[in-house]
Amino acid sequence: MKTKLRIILTLFLAFTVQLSFAQQLTVTGNVTDDSGMPLIGATIAIAGTSTGTSSDFDGNYSIKANQGDVLSFSYVGYTTQDVTVGESSTINVTLLADNTLEEVVVTAYGIQRQKKTLTYQAEAVGSKELMKVAPTRAASALAGKVAGMQINVQSNGVNPTTQILLRGLRSISQNNSALIVIDGSVASQGAFDALNPNDIESINVLKGATAAALYGSAASNGAILVETKSGEDGGAFKIGITTANTMESVAYLPKFQSEYGTGWQGVYDPVENTNWGPRFDGTLRQIGPTFPENYPLQTQMVPYAPVENNLLDFYNTGNTLQNTLYASGSSEGSSFYMSVGNQTTSGIVPNDTYDRNTFRVNASKKLGNLTLKLASNYIRDKQSVVGSTIGDQDRTLYWFVLNTPANIPLSQYSDWSNPEGYGYADNYYNAYYQNPYWAIGTNRVNSNSSRLTANISASWDISESTNFTTRLGVNTGNGGGKNWRAAQTYNEDLQPAHSAVSSFVTDYESSFITYTTDAILSTKFDITKDIDVIALLGATNKTQKSRSSTIAVTNISIPGFYDVSNGTGQPVVSVDESVKKSYGVFSDFTFGYKDYLFLNLAGRYDFTSTLPSGDNSYFYPYAGLSFVATDAIPSITNGALSYLKTTLSNSTVYNDLGPYLNNETFGQSTGFPFGNLNGFFQTGTAVDSSLTKEKINTTEFGVNAAFFNNRLTIDAAYYLTNSTDLITFTTPSLSSGASSFLTNIGEVEGKGYELTIGGTILKATDFSWDVNVNYTANEQKVKSISEGVNEITITSDGEVGIFAIVGEDFPQMKATSYQRDPQGRVIIDAASGNPQVGELKNMGKTTPDYILGLTSTVNYKNFSLSATMDYRTGHVYYEQGSDAMEFTGRSLESVSANRQDFVFPNSVVETSPGVFVPNTNIPITDGKQDYWTNTYNEIKENYVKDATAFKIREVALNYTIPADVLKKTPVSSVNIGFIGRNLFTWLPAENHFSDPEFNNSNSNAIGIGGYFQSPPTRSYGFSVNIEF
Amino acid sequence: MKNILTTMKTLLVLLVLGSCSDSYLDVNVDPNNPISVSPDLILPVALNYTAGLEERDRGQNHLGNMFMGAWSQSDGFSWYNDEFLYLVTPSFYQRIFDTTYGTILKQYKGLEVLEGAQYGNYQAISKIMQAMHFQILVDTYGDVPYSEALQRGGNPTPKYDDAETIYDSLVNQLTDAISLITATADVTGALVPGDDDGVFNGDMTKWKQFANSLKLRILVRQSDLAGKSTYIQEQFNAINAEGSGYMTDDVTINIGYSQTESQQNPKWNGFGEDVSGTKTLTNNATCATPYVLDRLTSTNDGRLDLLFEKPGTGHLGVVQGLQEYDSPVVDQYVPDLVSNIGPGILKGPNQDAVIYTAAEAYFNLAEAALKGFIANDAQTMYESGITASFDYLGASGASNYYAQNIPTVGWAASTNKLEAIIVQKWLGVMGINALQSWFDFNRTGYPSDVPMSLLSTKPNRPVRLAYPSSELTANSNNLPTQQDVFSSKIFWAN
Repeated sequence: MKTKLRIILTLFLAFTVQLSFAQQLTVTGNVTDDSGMPLIGATIAIAGTSTGTSSDFDGNYSIKANQGDVLSFSYVGYTTQDVTVGESSTINVTLLADNTLEEVVVTAYGIQRQKKTLTYQAEAVGSKELMKVAPTRAASALAGKVAGMQINVQSNGVNPTTQILLRGLRSISQNNSALIVIDGSVASQGAFDALNPNDIESINVLKGATAAALYGSAASNGAILVETKSGEDGGAFKIGITTANTMESVAYLPKFQSEYGTGWQGVYDPVENTNWGPRFDGTLRQIGPTFPENYPLQTQMVPYAPVENNLLDFYNTGNTLQNTLYASGSSEGSSFYMSVGNQTTSGIVPNDTYDRNTFRVNASKKLGNLTLKLASNYIRDKQSVVGSTIGDQDRTLYWFVLNTPANIPLSQYSDWSNPEGYGYADNYYNAYYQNPYWAIGTNRVNSNSSRLTANISASWDISESTNFTTRLGVNTGNGGGKNWRAAQTYNEDLQPAHSAVSSFVTDYESSFITYTTDAILSTKFDITKDIDVIALLGATNKTQKSRSSTIAVTNISIPGFYDVSNGTGQPVVSVDESVKKSYGVFSDFTFGYKDYLFLNLAGRYDFTSTLPSGDNSYFYPYAGLSFVATDAIPSITNGALSYLKTTLSNSTVYNDLGPYLNNETFGQSTGFPFGNLNGFFQTGTAVDSSLTKEKINTTEFGVNAAFFNNRLTIDAAYYLTNSTDLITFTTPSLSSGASSFLTNIGEVEGKGYELTIGGTILKATDFSWDVNVNYTANEQKVKSISEGVNEITITSDGEVGIFAIVGEDFPQMKATSYQRDPQGRVIIDAASGNPQVGELKNMGKTTPDYILGLTSTVNYKNFSLSATMDYRTGHVYYEQGSDAMEFTGRSLESVSANRQDFVFPNSVVETSPGVFVPNTNIPITDGKQDYWTNTYNEIKENYVKDATAFKIREVALNYTIPADVLKKTPVSSVNIGFIGRNLFTWLPAENHFSDPEFNNSNSNAIGIGGYFQSPPTRSYGFSVNIEF
Repeated sequence: MKNILTTMKTLLVLLVLGSCSDSYLDVNVDPNNPISVSPDLILPVALNYTAGLEERDRGQNHLGNMFMGAWSQSDGFSWYNDEFLYLVTPSFYQRIFDTTYGTILKQYKGLEVLEGAQYGNYQAISKIMQAMHFQILVDTYGDVPYSEALQRGGNPTPKYDDAETIYDSLVNQLTDAISLITATADVTGALVPGDDDGVFNGDMTKWKQFANSLKLRILVRQSDLAGKSTYIQEQFNAINAEGSGYMTDDVTINIGYSQTESQQNPKWNGFGEDVSGTKTLTNNATCATPYVLDRLTSTNDGRLDLLFEKPGTGHLGVVQGLQEYDSPVVDQYVPDLVSNIGPGILKGPNQDAVIYTAAEAYFNLAEAALKGFIANDAQTMYESGITASFDYLGASGASNYYAQNIPTVGWAASTNKLEAIIVQKWLGVMGINALQSWFDFNRTGYPSDVPMSLLSTKPNRPVRLAYPSSELTANSNNLPTQQDVFSSKIFWAN
């Protein structure tokens, strides 16, 4: 520890030395590219000093320098030019474009490579593209920007969680989420979400297993390599502040009927949560209980008419304020970046709040041929949200909001704590569900967490061509919180139907730590004049530990005192610990022939603690080829084509298990011990005694081309994945005595295309228009499972679920369907006229056929307008909420026949087996209610909807104050942005409920969502960045 | 290419061997969950599961009461539509299949597979309890997985066995269990269950008697089957010869139920009160039918106020499938005004869970006697059954009740003795093991006047349940064709 501190101190000392200035002349000028266009933001630095500036929107710059100083002009993608200051105070510079595709990129383990030597496809997203709309989470800002990537949202509250999928799902039971690597060390989705997005320099997406093979098993789903800011390119010293303030409001609610109100079976009922009453007539009617004489409240009367926006008005406008203060700088051999960030969010749900503080220190120092680096990040956050087990039925908040009839002015019931208010439990209008305002006041989850992600590395240049780098990374954190619910009893006369709500307190704590260590020896040498080799030999080690504990008590004695000591009865206590260790060694050889043909051969040997000791190691190879045609045959570079490269690669990656999964176990049974009598149950999971690793083979073919002097770039990839011996929780018959069987099964085959087209459509003085379009098509088919088994349940409630089915796309949705005749007509029951519930039927895949993303940026003078949008289609999702709303009679469908009996369209009657006669006269039964709540609601096919969506995810208008305006101020740059997120969503007409991107789970059970999340929101606001 | 890979691999292995030791990876022993436990920790859990499925809301007893016209629904609830519609889809009460195999039998099987003669008693208890559950499965679904069942990973897709074959095998299983108990008595060091046996507290003689009572249930259920009478007679003779006799007390499970979260008796927990003493919603939702109240009233049945709670305003039932609750009088059927489940059924948080009532045992004996399989006096058995039922509920006046000159009440007054036995058995298991009365109804058609639900569009109530959706998914190759649940009867009813 002491040594570590000393290193940090040394680094800091190094930065503080050089902040002095001498008397100088002011050099001004203009930086342009070879076509005469101004280069905005080009760096102008005085070589050998820490002084620097950057060009403004017109390419103009101004810097104080002495005669004889060397000014270094640099710009990403252009060759740096040095000019010595002479007598003239004006220096105009024209920078020549690099071949952009020869840029250096960061690959696995932070190894930098020339892009043309890469034998696979990778795509980078820079800080600017990420930060356009001041996101609170970097993941959400990636949506629509990278081909092959799909971002799914599990919850959209104040602390959202997301899932990142690259190229679909390869494994049926195992994790399909991309590996997250931060500053060269393996991290986690949680660490990525916790990052202050302002600290991110760039994100490099390694889309397939071929790119990520060096990371081994963990990277079978591709990898997201995050590099945080180093200060290396920022000139001498810079302080900046970024502030963003955004408002969040409900974008849309489900479309509901507003013709019928409170009641049951067509009869008005003042205390119902359902809308099966008579048609609205505008008369004044009682709602809620009849109050006795001398009661402080009058029996409540409201017009029997729909209240406009009665649910929408329940939600607040949320607010997020983000501030980041940062400083960075570099001088010869050293650089640093440090930042302090704060996010304060209040949500759309009243009283939901989230606060986060982030601290980052990154530094590097070169000492002779040794470079030391530190990247460290400490995050603390605090959250208070409404509980998710509200009322006597343990429902989520949205449920209570949705269970409000159309004629109820919901937002008037916020006085839940006032015994003389209509919102008070005994006075509330609803006899079955609680007041959501009461829920907010009496059901809370308050939690906090802290996290440290840090890594230190030492890189030793042993000789000109040989380097040894070692890195130690840690990702550790802990968190805890309390979930509590107050008890509620009811006056039996006023609320005879209400069941009392019991109280509980659950206290939990968790901690985790992941260590990674890597060591890599690399060397370069020539075999012949034409053939050179880059060779790597590396070893890596990873240890993951976690521990969590929960204490839950119920029926507390002292109201309002939420401590586990206050519970009665037997507390439920659980503690879980886990450890997983693995290590691997790898080598990687890249043979280059005449700098245009590259062969990459690599292999990795992995050892894991989670497979049986005889079978816990495995080797996997990687081979790739890259051919730069434009370098090999320069003559093909004509007016149009400026660059052409093709890649071909193949890799095999094996996956291991989670900890402790290779044994069948017992667990303490619920309720035990009964006194001194303890009891254990055999868990439902049976484990195959010959369980082994799973195998994923990937072949990728890629093309990278550039045209018209790199003004148009096209990147395309086609890939095939084949997963076999999948470690899968298969679904055995329950009659086997197991509810799941962990075994190696079957084969999943995937293929897909990715296409990214980037280009400058228009370019003129003061004006440019850039567009980036990306297209992703992916399909995964289950080729086989195992003998006698044709499908595997990922999740199912018996009526609807997600499955892996032989011959079908994965994941596949199945739901109870209409019984149909061979012509597809709905078969009705001759007696009732009602359609009949058929078996579970395939409804379609739940991941899109394709995703089309588009980012457009228009620059005019100092203004920049950009937008990111995407379109997903070809998949379905199950609208859990509209299913639930059928019972309450708020669905649009329930009024589609004016609550009358009707003849089911295009239906048939089976008059004798196999004979179907069109039904023209038998109407359905009980169209006033039961048809909808029973028959229609049993056929879950009705709630499986087209998940197509078009979203405008980001819109930003930025204005940069011209440099000459700021000349006389200490301020070097000011950027003001007006920003919007998810401003517009288009959904097909049949999906009038919610955002199909919402998922209840971050597992492979994609496609079920609705009422566990809050309604979809949009955000808008402004951001300001000021640098000194 | 291959050579390069091999060389690479060798180099890497050498590197690793130099750097890491074997024990480094030796951390995969689960610190949270044991991989084996002793039988005294398995049995109470299994018994608790058995009690739960029988007694919980939407468990076996619940379904029996809905199908057999005893229970209905109060105003303010829309809970029992599927039951009133007889909407027997693959998800309808699929718990009876799924929980029996996936939770209960799985747990009992964990006792049967223990190796060693010292575990004989636990193995025998396991066989007996498995037999009880398998019979209910057959009676509910017909053909079910049996011979290949419960092998977990060893056979993830067990085949379906013929229902009648399973029945015969169950009798043999019970015979084996009795022999095993006898043999284990001579094994030194044999484990004898204690508190963990929440049924008989380790009294293995009573387990033998219970095994015989289960045989009795199996044999009587198929006693109308043509060509089976010789077999049935042989089996009764064998029971007599073995000599342990039948269990004629209520067979109950109690592993220490108390008014504590997750430790209440499952019926009380579902239909009675929660641990804080508040009536559950299911208590409010569930009430008597007018049909059952009328029958009890018209026969001067002392069990009336114990089977159903008597509101201050007098007994009131709700017709099954009623939709117009507020017509002609608004709120006439709210929970406070209707006859909810009574105090003879809901006794308290620590009440025993009943899996085989003494009354049912007597009525089964009465039927066996009536049909001449056993020498007992049918009338005595019948009247003992009624007395046992009164006793369980805490009612008085059994002898006055069965002395009445009312058909299906008094023995002499009943010209159709079988009808009297089945009707009284229906009352004897009502609210307790009511699913048994549905099986008897499917077999005999008694009680013959149980009304159909108002919501029904079918000519009769279901005679079986549909195979569950879990099997459609996980065992489709073996699953027999779904039978018509309204007409395709279980083998013993044909």
